[in-house]
Amino acid sequence: MNARKSRRLAAAVMVVGALTVTTACSSAHSGGAGAGTDESKVAATTVAVGTAADSTGPAIAPAGAKKGGTVNMIDRDDFSHLDPAQVYLNTNSEVSLLFTRGLTGYKTLPDGSTKLVGDLATDSGTTTDGGKTWKFTLKDGVKWQDGTAITSADVKYSIERTFAPFIKSGPTYIQSWLTGSPDKYREAYPGPYSGQDLPSVQTPDAKTVIYKFTDVHPDANFTFAMTGYGIVPKAQDTKDQYDKKPFSSGPYEIVSHVTDKSLDLERNPNWDASTDPIRNAYPDKWHMEFGVQIDQSTQRFMADNGSDKDAFSFHETVAPSFVDQVKADPKLKSRTLNGLTPFTDYYFINNTRIKDPKVREALIRAFPHQQTRQLQGGTSYGDFATTYMSPLTLGYEASDVFDTLKSPAGDPVAAKKLLTDANALGTTIVYAYNNTPIQQSVTEAIRVALEKAGFKFVAKPLDAKTYYDAIALLNNPYDLYWGGWGADWPTGYTSLQPVWDGAAMADGASNYAHFNDPAVSKEMADAVKIADPVAQGKAWAAIDKELQQKAVSIPDVYQRSMSLYGSGLGGVTFDSLQGLQSPLNIFVK
Amino acid sequence: MLRFLVRRSLGALVILLIISMVTFALFFAIPADPARLSCGKVCTPENLALIRHSMQLDQPVPLQFWHWFSGIFTGRDFGGAGYCNAPCFGYSYVKQEMITNTLIDRFPTTLSLTVGSAVIFLIFGIGTGMLAANKQGKPADKIASSASLIASSLQIYVAGPLALWALVYSTNWLQLPAYVPITQDPIGWFTGLLVPWLVLSLIWTANYTRMTRSSMVEQLSEDYVRTARAKGMSGRSVFLRYAWRGAMGTIVTVFGIDLGVLLGGAIITENTFGLQGLGQLSIDSIRQSDLSMMVGVTMVAATLIVVSNIVVDAAYALIDPRIRLA
Amino acid sequence: MTTQAKPEETAAPGGSSSFLSVRDLSVRFRTEDGVVRAVDNLSFEVERGTTLGIVGESGSGKSVTNLAILGLHNPANSEITGSIKLAGQELVGAPNKELEKLRGHTMSMIFQDPLTALSPFHTIGAQIGETYRKHTGASKKEARDRSIEMLTKVGIPQPTTRVDDFPHQFSGGMRQRAMIAMSLVCDPALVIADEPTTALDVTVQAQILDLLKELQQEMGTAIILITHDLGVVAKTAKDIMVMYAGRAVERGTVREVLKAPQHPYTWGLLSSMPNLTGPVGVPLRPVRGTPPSLINLPTGCPFNPRCDHLEQVIGGKCTTERPPLAPEAGHATACHLSSGQKQEIFIDQIQPRLG
Repeated sequence: MNARKSRRLAAAVMVVGALTVTTACSSAHSGGAGAGTDESKVAATTVAVGTAADSTGPAIAPAGAKKGGTVNMIDRDDFSHLDPAQVYLNTNSEVSLLFTRGLTGYKTLPDGSTKLVGDLATDSGTTTDGGKTWKFTLKDGVKWQDGTAITSADVKYSIERTFAPFIKSGPTYIQSWLTGSPDKYREAYPGPYSGQDLPSVQTPDAKTVIYKFTDVHPDANFTFAMTGYGIVPKAQDTKDQYDKKPFSSGPYEIVSHVTDKSLDLERNPNWDASTDPIRNAYPDKWHMEFGVQIDQSTQRFMADNGSDKDAFSFHETVAPSFVDQVKADPKLKSRTLNGLTPFTDYYFINNTRIKDPKVREALIRAFPHQQTRQLQGGTSYGDFATTYMSPLTLGYEASDVFDTLKSPAGDPVAAKKLLTDANALGTTIVYAYNNTPIQQSVTEAIRVALEKAGFKFVAKPLDAKTYYDAIALLNNPYDLYWGGWGADWPTGYTSLQPVWDGAAMADGASNYAHFNDPAVSKEMADAVKIADPVAQGKAWAAIDKELQQKAVSIPDVYQRSMSLYGSGLGGVTFDSLQGLQSPLNIFVK
Repeated sequence: MLRFLVRRSLGALVILLIISMVTFALFFAIPADPARLSCGKVCTPENLALIRHSMQLDQPVPLQFWHWFSGIFTGRDFGGAGYCNAPCFGYSYVKQEMITNTLIDRFPTTLSLTVGSAVIFLIFGIGTGMLAANKQGKPADKIASSASLIASSLQIYVAGPLALWALVYSTNWLQLPAYVPITQDPIGWFTGLLVPWLVLSLIWTANYTRMTRSSMVEQLSEDYVRTARAKGMSGRSVFLRYAWRGAMGTIVTVFGIDLGVLLGGAIITENTFGLQGLGQLSIDSIRQSDLSMMVGVTMVAATLIVVSNIVVDAAYALIDPRIRLA
Repeated sequence: MTTQAKPEETAAPGGSSSFLSVRDLSVRFRTEDGVVRAVDNLSFEVERGTTLGIVGESGSGKSVTNLAILGLHNPANSEITGSIKLAGQELVGAPNKELEKLRGHTMSMIFQDPLTALSPFHTIGAQIGETYRKHTGASKKEARDRSIEMLTKVGIPQPTTRVDDFPHQFSGGMRQRAMIAMSLVCDPALVIADEPTTALDVTVQAQILDLLKELQQEMGTAIILITHDLGVVAKTAKDIMVMYAGRAVERGTVREVLKAPQHPYTWGLLSSMPNLTGPVGVPLRPVRGTPPSLINLPTGCPFNPRCDHLEQVIGGKCTTERPPLAPEAGHATACHLSSGQKQEIFIDQIQPRLG
C-alpha cells in the first residue's frame, strides 16, 4: 500500500474527525480554471466575503462551455450520506452541490480566488451585533424540484431537524451556538418531530430568517456554507430514509441511486440559473459509477476510451504507480489537475512529555521532511509545510521560523547544538506510528535523522484502526506521532482552534500535541470574536507565528492531489476547499 | 438419500450456528468502534452514546447475538430504518441497508461471475487435461502441462490488470467489466462479464487441466481399466467410460468445494474488475468496519461452502456406487 | 513404439499344430534405471482344450508374458520381439484394431484381484454385457440375457437380480465367478487366468478351479493358468512351465515335472510348499535368497546365486554359461547338471523331504 492510500485508510477509519476528510470551506482553487498547473509552491490566495452583487446569478461561465450531454463520474466508494444534515465527508459535500443548496456558498472567480456569497440568500448574511445575531433574506424565484417556493420556514425546519436523534454524523456548530450547549444540545431542543419549535431561529416573514446565537460567531456565514446546513423540505422529509434520495433544490434531481453501484441525475426543471451564482449546470445528465479501484480509474483515464472520455472523478487521484508516467506524458498533462487540498500533515510533539522548547526545536530542525515525503510519493504528495494554518486559510502568512525550507532534509548539526545547549543530548523520543509498510520505512528515515542529531529513538507500532484513538489520549506514552488536519471552513477558527487550543484539551479531542498555553488560548478566544474578516485573518496569522516560535510541533506537508479526467470534458477544475474535482463548471465538449 | 440429506442438513445447521457464534465473537474483538465511524467529526459523547444505543452496541455481546440470531427467523424492527423481514441478518448502519437486501442484491453478480467462468474452466480445463492424459508424454501433453503450470502460477491481481490493459484500455476490443442482470440485458450481461470470466477461468482452467490430467493418468493405470482393455474395449471407450468415470469423482469433489468458495465471493477478481459482488462487499465491510455486514457476508460464504459440501457428497454417491449415503 | 523383430520364418517343431504358439518371445521395458528384460527368449505352446500352468515367483515374467499375448503392454515404453501366433494369426505387431477384436472374443483374461479388476462404477451385468455387445453386436436386451446366462453358468445364485449389482456388493468368490463369466461370455478359444484364486480362501479356490475345468470341458477352451502355487497346477493343468527370471527353466507335463522335477529351482519350489501327505516335522525350506534384478542379471545361469548344487557342475559353467532349455520337446530343463546328477539329487535329497 502506498503512502497516500495508507494515510487515506487511516483517515477513513479514524473516527472522531474523519479529520482529513472533512467538509471544509476554501479560499483558493489552486488548480483553478486552467488545467495542469505545475507543482511550484502556491501562493496563498485570498478568500473574501462577497457582496449582494456577487450573490446574483448566473454563475461565471468558463470559456467554450456549452449545454447538453451526459457526464460520467467514477469513484471507489458510493456517497455514504446524501441527507444534508448527515454530510461531513468531502465527497458527499461535493456531489451535494448538484442538488442541495444552502444559505451561503463559495463562488470561484476567473482568477482562481474565492468569495463567500449568498446562495439561497441574497447576500452572505448580515450581523449588526458582532456575530451574535445573523439575518438572511431569501432570493426571489428559488424553488424545490416540485416547483414549490423555498421559504424561510423550510430553512428553519432544516436547522430544526439537525437536532433529531437520527442525525448523527453531520456538523454540530450551529446547534451548539443556538442552544449554548456544545455537548447536550439535544436536551435543550429535541428536534421538530415532537412538534416543538426552536425559538432561537426566527422567521418574521417568508423571506427572512434570523439566527440568535448565545455568543458571537463572526464567521458563522462560513459555517452556513457547509453542506451539513443545506436545506430539506418538511413535506418531503422521510427522516432516516431521506439519506438515500434527498429532494432537490439545486440544478439536478436524483432519478436513481443504487447503493454502491450507481447514482443518476437529471435536470431539475424548476431550478433557475439566474438565482444561482455558484452553479453552472451544463450537462443534461450525470451518471456516477462506484466500485472502481484507483489503479483501474487511472488506467481508464489514461486510455480515454468510449464513455470514459466524458468521465471525471471526485476523489480518485492518479495511482502512485502511474504518477511518473502521467507526469511524463504531455497529452495527459492537459487533462491533469494538481492542486493543494485543505489537509495538512503534522508530526505532533507531545508537549506534556517534551516540555523543553529547545528540545522541541531540535526535533523540528532535525526532522527529515525530504526523505519522509519521498517515501510517500515525493513532490506529488505535497509541499513542505512550515506553518500550522494551511495556505488556503483566510489571513495565511508564509513564514519559516526554523529554516525548514532551507534544509528540508534536516539539520542535524543545528539540532545537536540545541540539544547540547539544553543539556538534553540523548533524550529518548518514543515515536508512535501506523503499522503499515510505508510507515515502517518512514519511521526508519526518522530514526536515522533523529539519532544523527543526538536523540535516542524508540519506535512503537500502532494498529491502523485505533491509531487516532491511541494518540488522542492525554496520557499517551508517546513523544512524537503523525496526524492530519483539514479545516471545516477556511478561517483560523477551524484551522487552529480545535488542534492548538489548550482549553479544548480532552481525551479523544483533537489537540494531539497537548499544547496548553493559556495566553494562546486567550488570543484564540479573542480572535474568534473579531468581526472584520481581514483583521480576523491577521489575528490568526499572528497566532500561527506564535505557535511556530513556541515550537509546539512539526508541520510537515500541505497535501496535494493529482488527478485525471477524460478528454471529452471541459471546465473540470480542482476544488481546494474539499481537495476534490469540482462538478460545477464541467461541460461536454 | 433422503435420510442422508436430512442428517447432513441438521449437521450443517449446527456447524453454521457455531460459525456464526465464532464470527460474532471474533468481529466484536476487533478494536475499531463502529459507532465512532458513524459519528461526525465533532463527535460529542452524547452523539456517540446515541449511536451506540441505536446500533444496540451498548448491549452485552451474547444479547446482541441473540437478537441477531432470532432475527433470522422472526425478523427485527430497526425503528426509523424500518422493519426487517425474516430471514433478517441485521441492518448495516454504514450502508443504511438491510443486510439481507444487500446480500440478495450482490449475490447475482458473484453467481454470474462464478457460473460463467466455471463453464469456461470446466470445458477447457477438463478438455485440455484429458487431451494431455491421452497424449501422455507426447509434445501435446508437454505443451499443455507447461502452459497450465505457468497459467496456474499467475495471480488474478497480475493477470487481471494485464488483461484489462491488453483487451480493454489499450485496444478497446472488449467491454469494460460491468454487471448487468441477465434478465435485463442478456448481451450486456455477457459482454460485461467476458473479461472477468476469461481472467478468472484462465487460472482455474490451468488448475483443472493439471488435476484432470493427473487423475486420468492415475485412473488409466488402474486394474479395472486394464480389464476393460483386456475385454477388447476400444481406446476411446476405455478412456471415457472407464478412466473418466473414475477421475470424475475427484474432479466433482474439488469442483464442489471450489464452487462454494467462489460463490462466497471471488474477492480479488471482483475488486480488480470493480464488480460489486459478495467478495467486494466483504472487503468493503472490513474497510468500513461494518461489523453486521461482515457477519452477514461470512455467514453466506460459510453456508455456501457447507451446502456445497453436502451437494458434493451426494453427487459423489451418484458417481461412485460404492459410497452409500446414510 | 513397438520395435518389431521379424517373426521367425522357421515354424517351430510341432508348433504348427498348436493353437497358441509362442516363439522366442522377449519383452523389454525401458525404465529410468535401465532396460528390464522381463521376458527373454521364451517359447511354448498350448493346445486346444488343454491347460498350461505357468509357475514361478513374482517377477519371473509370468504375467508379462500373458499381457504380451493380449497386447496390453504400453508400446511407449516396451519392446516386444519374437512371435505369438494364435490359431495361425501373428499377434506381435498386429494393429490395435485387430487385437481389440480378438481380446475378450478369441482370447480373454481372468485377473488376479477381482475387486480392483472390475470397474466399481458399472454393474456386473453391464461389464459382462458390454464385452458381448462389443464382439457380437448384440442388443442391450440380448446382452443382458447373455449376462444372466453366464452368471447362472458360473453359479451365481439369483442371477436375474444380481446382474444389476455392483462388484462391491459381491463376495470375493462371487466376484471371481463374475470375472470368469465376463471372460467367457464370448466363448473364447484361449483363456489366460492370472492367479485366479490367489485372493480367495481355500474352499472357494477349489470351487473356482472346478468351475474352470468344467467350462473347459464344455467349451474346449485352451487355458493358461498363471500361479505360484504348484498345488493348483497339479489339480488343473496338463502341461507345466516353470519360469525364472524371464525364462523357462523347466517344462513338461504335470506328471513329469511334479513327480520327477529336474531343476534345482523347481525342487526349491516343491520343498517350500506344504504337503498334507508329507512327513510331519520336516521343516519347509523356502528357496534361499531373493529373485534377481531383471536389469542386471547374474552372468551364467541366473539361478546360480541361489543354487545349492553349483559345485557339482564341472568347470564352474553355472557362473559363466547360461544353460539352454533342453531337449527341444518333452520334459526339458535349463540346467548344467547332467541328467544323472539331477535324478540322483532328486531321489537322494529332495524326494524324502517331499514325502
